[in-house]
Order: sequence, then structure tokens, then C-alpha cells
Amino acid sequence: MTALNTGGRLMAPTAPSPARRRTPRRRAGLAGYLFVSGYAILLVAFGIYPTLFAGYLALTNDRGQFTGLNQFVKVIQDYRFGPAFTNILVYLVMWLVILVVLTVVVAVILRSRMKPGLSSVFRFLFYIPGALAGVASVLVWMFMLDPGVSPVSGLLNALGLSTFSQVIAPQSLPVIFVFIAFWTGAGGWIVVMYGALNNIPDEILEAARVDGAGPWKSAWFIQIPMISKWIAYMTILAFAAGTQLFVEPQLLQSASLGRLNPTWSPNQLAYVLAFQFGDFNGAAAVSIFLLAIGLVGAGILVTRSGLFKAGDE
Amino acid sequence: MKSPTVPQSGAPKRRVLRAALAIASLTAIVALAGCASATQSTSTGTAGFKKAAQNNSSTITVWADSTRLPAVQAYQTSHPNAKLNIVTYDGSADGSTYLQTKVQLFDRTGKGWPDVVFASPTDVTWASKATSPSAQAFAAPVDELVPSSTINNFAKGSLTPCQYNGHTYCLRNDIAQVVTWYNKTLFDKFGYTVPTTWEQYQALGAQVAKDHPGYVLGWVGDSNSQESYFWSSQCPAFDLVQPNTLRVALGSTDCTRMATLLDSMIANKSISTQASNNATFIKQTAPKVLMAVGPSWYGQYIFNLGFKTPAGQIAAANPMTWSGDTTAATGNVGGGVWMISSHSTNLKAATAITSWLTTSDANQGSAPTYPAYGPAAKTWLANPANSKYFAADVSGAFTTAANEVWTGWSNTKFSDATAWSSVVLPALTAGKTLTATLPAWQAAIVDEAKSVGYTVTTK
Amino acid sequence: MTTTSAWRPQRRKTRQASRFASTLIVVLIMGLLLVFFVLPVIWLILAPTKTASELLNQPPLSFGAFSNIGLAWDHLASFENGIIFVWLKNSAVYSVGSLILTLATSIPAGYALALTRFRGRKILLTITLLVMIMPSASLVLPLFLELNRFGLIGTAWSIILPFSFFPFGVYLVYIYFSTSLPSEMLEAARIDGASEWQLFTRIALPLARPVVALVAFFSFVGNWNNFFLPYLVLPSSDQFPIQVGLNQLLSSTPSFNPVAGAGLDIQSPELALSIIIAILPVLIVFLFSQRALVSGMLAGSTKG
Repeated sequence: MTALNTGGRLMAPTAPSPARRRTPRRRAGLAGYLFVSGYAILLVAFGIYPTLFAGYLALTNDRGQFTGLNQFVKVIQDYRFGPAFTNILVYLVMWLVILVVLTVVVAVILRSRMKPGLSSVFRFLFYIPGALAGVASVLVWMFMLDPGVSPVSGLLNALGLSTFSQVIAPQSLPVIFVFIAFWTGAGGWIVVMYGALNNIPDEILEAARVDGAGPWKSAWFIQIPMISKWIAYMTILAFAAGTQLFVEPQLLQSASLGRLNPTWSPNQLAYVLAFQFGDFNGAAAVSIFLLAIGLVGAGILVTRSGLFKAGDE
Repeated sequence: MKSPTVPQSGAPKRRVLRAALAIASLTAIVALAGCASATQSTSTGTAGFKKAAQNNSSTITVWADSTRLPAVQAYQTSHPNAKLNIVTYDGSADGSTYLQTKVQLFDRTGKGWPDVVFASPTDVTWASKATSPSAQAFAAPVDELVPSSTINNFAKGSLTPCQYNGHTYCLRNDIAQVVTWYNKTLFDKFGYTVPTTWEQYQALGAQVAKDHPGYVLGWVGDSNSQESYFWSSQCPAFDLVQPNTLRVALGSTDCTRMATLLDSMIANKSISTQASNNATFIKQTAPKVLMAVGPSWYGQYIFNLGFKTPAGQIAAANPMTWSGDTTAATGNVGGGVWMISSHSTNLKAATAITSWLTTSDANQGSAPTYPAYGPAAKTWLANPANSKYFAADVSGAFTTAANEVWTGWSNTKFSDATAWSSVVLPALTAGKTLTATLPAWQAAIVDEAKSVGYTVTTK
Repeated sequence: MTTTSAWRPQRRKTRQASRFASTLIVVLIMGLLLVFFVLPVIWLILAPTKTASELLNQPPLSFGAFSNIGLAWDHLASFENGIIFVWLKNSAVYSVGSLILTLATSIPAGYALALTRFRGRKILLTITLLVMIMPSASLVLPLFLELNRFGLIGTAWSIILPFSFFPFGVYLVYIYFSTSLPSEMLEAARIDGASEWQLFTRIALPLARPVVALVAFFSFVGNWNNFFLPYLVLPSSDQFPIQVGLNQLLSSTPSFNPVAGAGLDIQSPELALSIIIAILPVLIVFLFSQRALVSGMLAGSTKG
């Protein structure tokens, strides 16, 4: 799941220029169809059809009878539903706040307070963990979080954590997943934010400096507002990816020999329902809830940030 | 110039809104009207075993975990004519549901099933039933494929997890009967005697806490520790009184006596609440493990491979009894099974390899774990490679324990480890007592049991 | 609210103090983050130089011996007769195969969405945005049944085709072309009699190099690291990509699966080494494309 979404980091938020709209051409219509045909086939096969099928599953039972909203009622009443969605919401709030604040701060520092050479070294170092997805990242963190072998065992001990089982206590899990997600995901976003900052013409910053604005003030009043669309864009994708948290809790669960609830996140619940209980209909209903959360979150961000406004035409 | 098909600004938003409203009201109407129930179909008894068209020369696919891979390869070597396609997977370790997931998918495509699989006993509970109304149970009833004399030779009770509705759906690869492990060298050095009752065990704990603080008589932090302790205590936590009625009665004295005993030993630190694979535990506590209540594979896998305890120190004793009881009851921790697919097109070859893997001396005599098949177990115990690590002969304890496994801890459709490791262990870590956690454990088991369709009694 | 004029130089002393404080904050933030990002990586690189018991007993950041790397390598190479090389090859086939298809479909599609008019263009864009946030657990069953209907289960296509569907890439290309290629330029070429195909290959493609690099990088990394789909769809262990293979290694490691591993010699150092091997291709690709990454983004947002 993580991997499916990493590619999304770069869906650029900038609006297409309106100039383009003035010059449509009839003969371009046919060519347009030809150009999009390959993608359209893939979109139907691997995007639309599976989504509609999931929608159909959520409205029926395993005998193929129409059930209306009963599947949704059923999964809400499931004793695992509430905890799983609570977990994911706690995780999402922490993850988004930390991601947004830190990536922006770091990008500003890399852009305005460092020599380009040094900044590129930093960007590479920050990105390295991004190559460690799924199994690899969980495995590394298993060791980082085990006070017996961790390089930061002193820190863990200072927090009153002397055994691995204390570290992975249920209330710490959202923090741990935020750590893992930030460690593997933030580097890519820092590169993106840096690129966006890099794009602000030097004259604007120069003008601010002449006016006496210090680096923090120009960051707050000039740089950050100018990349706000990128920030909103990152938030949406990180939000959507966050709702789908699966690989990390799943692997930490098996690597810690079951110390985690196997239905910690909603996506895990959907997976367990589908493949352990053969209840693909209930699983589809859980997924539709997740999709709804993703859409609401994206909707709020889009309307609040004015993102995609021009793109919607 | 605007192409006529491009709607005006703002129009799509309104249209989408209107469409959304329409869908919402439609669903509301639908929801109010009577709809079919969302509950899943229950498989109606045994769907019967319909053999696929047989072809005695077709290649069979064998799924094994990495540990059993050499055994399958050895079969290929000793039977050069057998046509095998060997696939490795995680072997359903640690509650993995990989096999179940794949069979769910194969059931829907109608092909792809492996012919022979190594799996965990939990897998048999779903494999012996159809996964959907139209599917056939994955596991073939092996009692229709192998002679009954073979089946009768398996250790007493070892095939219980395989049995459903009067048929046997798997052959047990190994059993993991719980015995009393102790470090003979340390016991001799400290002058302790090995406890034979749980009461003596508790008393020894108090003494060790006083005289040799830091040393432990066991640990409860593993995802299977409940099977070592509560199963041995005959606690009715997973008791299938009828095929679909589960008795979960953690309030019974058979459970509370063990909880109280462990609580007192956890309190004086003669029992650790950590997990045996934990790095801190291996580093600090493992050299100070005086005793352990655990399955037959603890010797090789935990003491030898995990703790790196030198050879000639560890020995095994019979399971402990409760004072007053005449016979001991003991637990069982894991132990794999082999299943044959009911969809196999070459049942002859599949049966041949399964029999060889589970019953032959050639394979089981040198298997990594204790064989479930009686005659092979004798060969296994006589094999010096299996006993040279130990300080004393373990065969007495192993044989006794193998026949004392309590049958009241049933193989249920859900893993008995989930609630223990995700509810009880975190509570222990947080400093709660086992006695105080029993109600939460009970509630978690009941939730799980109900979600897979059991009727639950708690008396 | 303070206006720019209020920032004019005040007293020199306070300015120096505040400059010192802000440098301190910068150093502190960067230092902490550097440790956070790099420390686990250093640990990972050092892990294969130690034996499993040294990993427990030596200081976490100590160096073991080079010979242990060789030993771990031998153990890894002999695991299931060297299946790790098969997994790496599979990963390469799946990632590169779908990368080619992704580029072949998403570049023209993004171009057409940005610079041509046709019925359904906006619907296509909206759907592209929507499917990006669809939870994939629910899509796996339909996907599996679909692949089965076309007889693709068990073939490399069952991975390559779903991987090639890369809506992010399409959206990226769309943004790129709509912001950096003025349609007047195309219009002029049309008047000169160029065909739509020539417009695309002669004008758009040469300009698209940064975005091609961008899409290629993210598609490659995403596919290389994808775990879920191959884990569910592939029936046989010798078809696994390295990510699913790593999971199998994990479940063959005694410390993560107590009943596994007699004589397998797969322990933590071997796992660490296999992880390093598995991520090398991604790191190399990143190093080579970092410049394109930054410049591609630049172009994408110039007119934002």
C-alpha cells in the first residue's frame, strides 16, 4: 500500500494556465482519444472496474442478493471497527502535523540557510530511508526500538522504556508508525518542497531582504504562502496514503510475534474480513468507509486551500 | 472558441452535487425498503469430497516452509520419478494467513491450489470447510486416502485438530507437547530439586527470588505462553463443547489457579514477562534461565539456537501435576500438519509424499521437531543427533508428555494467540496482574469467537 | 500586523543575538533530523559486519569484521539455492516492464489531457484524481478475478499490467504540459501543417524530458517497493519480487519465528544484508535523477 502511493508525491498542484483553453481544435479531438487510449484502457481495467466491483460487493452479500446499507451497518457494529478507525484517526492527525511542519521547516532551511552543495548532500541523506519500504523499514525499526540493541537505548531508557514490549505498548503504536512513515516518507517530500521553494524568483526574496526581513520572516510571509498549494497537495496525498496504512502494522504484528492487534488499522480489518473470514462484502464496505474519509479529507483541503480551482475549470 | 462539449465553469460542481444528492436519496430509500441480510452464508455441513479427474502422471505442487524444504527435497532425491513442483512460503508461522488468503482466491478462480501443503493446525479449521457456498473444502479427508492402521499409529490426540465431522483432514507432522525444561548444571550447582507439582514450582520460585535473584523459572511473554501454562492447567478457554458451541470460562478455578500462581511468581520476578526472542531477554536473562515450561522444540530452538546455552546443560522432566491430581495434563504449542488438496488431480502421488513426509523413518527419524507418528518418534528418540545436546535422556519426558496432552483446548476457527498477545501481554507489560486481566482476555476471546460464528457459553 | 517597513534595522546588538539564536535553532533542527534519518541507516550498514550474537552484545554502532559480510553473503546466497537472485531478477522485470508501459501510456495521455480538447476530458481527469485515493485492499479481489479471467495469473503480466496503471504519472504530465508548453506554440505548428502526431513527437516530447525522468523515477521506486499486490497475486515463490522475498526471509529467521531456521543460517545480519541489496537499485536511481527531480518540479510550478 505504501508503495502504491509513493508515486503520488508529485502530482503537482499548480493550475493549468488558462491560455490553453482558447485554442481547441476539432481535429485534435480524435488525436486526443488516440493519445489517451492506452491510459484509458488501464484506467478502466485497473481503476474503474475494480472500484465499481468493490461498490457492488459492498451493496450485496455473498449470495449475490442486494443488501442496501446492511453491510455498512454490519461492519460498524463489528467490535473491531471502532478501535481501528480511532487508531487511524489518531495516527493521521499526528502524522499530518509532523509531516507538514517538519518538511516545510527543513525545506526552508535547506533552501535559504545552506550552500547548494551541502543542501544536496542533506537531501540525499534524508532521502535514503525512502528506499527502505515495507519489510525493510519495519525490520530496521524493530531494532531501533528494542532497548537491548538500539543505538539510542539511552534515550529509550530515559523515557522509562527498558524492554521492547514496553516500547510497543498499544498507546505508543501511533507514534511508532508516525516515526516509520516519517523516516521513509519525509525525504521525498523534502525534495519536493525544496524544488517548489527553489522556484520562487530570487528577486522577490531579495526585495524582502532589502526591506529588512530576516530569513524567518521572509519564510513565513513570502516563501510558505508561495508554496501553500504544494503543502496542501502533500497533505492530501499523505492523508490518502495514511488512511491506507497496512504494511507497517501488519509486519510489525508478525515480527513482534503478535503483540499488536491484527486489525489495528481499517485496511487490516478489511484484509482480515476478506481473506480470513471470506467476507469480501464486509471488507468492501470497510474500504468504502475509508474512501469516504479520504474524499472528505481531500474535499476539505481542496476547498480550504483553493487547490485545483483553476484545474476544475 | 470553446468546444460545445465543454461545460461552463461551475456547472460540473453543481451537477456532481445533484448526482450525489440523487444517489444519497436513492440509497436512503433502498435502505428503508427491506433488503437481504448482510450476514454471511454458513457452509452447510460437509460438502462432500468430489475427486477431480485423476492423472497419475501429472506434476504435483508442494508448499512447504523453509524449515521443511529439505525434507521435500530429500523426497525428490529418494524418489527420482516423482514429479514435484516445490514452492516455499511462510508455513503459516506466527498466525500468518497467507495460505488461507491464497486458497480463498484459488476457490474463486477454480484453479491454482497446491496439491500438498505444510500448515498450522489452525489452518485445518477453515480448510476442512468450504470457504464459500460454491466451493469445496480445500483439505481432502485423508482417512479415505491412507490406511486406517497408519492413522491409528499417530500419538494419542495428535490428530484431534485434524478431525471434523467424523473425518480426518490432515496428518500431523510433529507434536509440541509441553514438558518441564530445566538447566541441570545450574540445578546441581544450586542444589535444587526439579519440581514435580505446580505448588513445588511456585515454592521454588519464592526460594530462587530470595537466594538467586535474577534467575528465572520461565517466561510468559511469548505469543504461545498461554498454551504452555493455561493449557497445562486445563483452563477451559477454548473448549468446543459442540461443533459450533465454544465454552470460554476463564472464571473457572482451573484458570484462576494458574493466574494466581503466575502472578505470585511474576511479582517476585522468578518468572519474566518478556518474550523469549527479545534481544534484551536473550542478552540479560537467557543465561539465567533455570527452568522453562514449554514444548518439546524448546530444547533445540530456544535453548540451543536462541539462547545458545552450551550442550550438556539442559534436560527435560515430566509435566507437573497439581497436588492432589493423580495424572498430569499438559499443553501443546504448535506442531505442523500436512494437508492434501481435495482438488488434486494426482491424489496418488500427493498421498505418497504426504505419507512419506509424516510417517517414514527416513524423514521423521532426523526431522527437526518431535514426530507425531508413534513408530517414527521411537526412531527419532533413538537418533543420537536428537539427544546429544541434552544433559540427560529426554525420551522419557517426551513420551510421557506426548500422551498427556489435554484435549479440552480445542483447535478453533480463530487463533488462540491473538487475544493473549494483543490484550493480555500488553496489560502484563503495563504492570497489571494476570488475575486482573482475565476478564479482558475473556471478553476478547468471546468477541473473536462470535465474529467467526460460534455460539459462546461462559459457564 | 507588522509590515515590511517595521523590519528595518533596529539595534545591532539584538540583531546579532537573534541571528545567533536562529543559527542555533537551524543547527539543532538539522542535527536532530540528520541523526534521525541517518542513524538507522548507519546501523543497517554495520549490521552485516557482525554475527547475530555480536549484534546483541557489541555496541550497536561498532564495526565487526569484513569476513562476516562474506559469511552472511554465503548464507544468503545458499538460502533455498540462491532464490534471492531470482527475486531480484523478478523485481527488475516487473519494475522495468511496467515502467516502459507507464511511460508509453502516461506521457501521451497527460499531453492529450493538457493540450487537446475531446469529450470526456474532464471526466477522465476527475476519475484519475479519485482512483488515487481508493484503498487498494478492496481492489485486490476484483483485480485478481479480472486477471484470472484473462488467464494472466501466474504470469509476469499479472504484476506488470496493474503496475503500469499509474494515475499519478498521468496527472504529473498533465500539469507539466499545461504549465510549460504554451498552446500557441502548437497552434503555430498546426498552421504550418504539422500532424497531431508530429506535434507530439517533435515539439512536446523533446520538452518533456524532466517530467519523463520524474515519472520514471516514481514509477520505478513505487513498483520496486510494492509489496501488497505481488504478495497476494503471485502463486509461486520463484515469481516473488524482492520485497515479498524479504518477508519470506523474515519468517525464516529464528528470532522472528521461533520454530524456523534449523540449519538455515538466516539471522539478523543476513536480513540486514538482504535489505541493503534490495534497496541499492532505488538509491542508485535516486542519485542519478536527483537533478531531474528538482528541475522537473521547477518547470511544473513556474506558473502556479
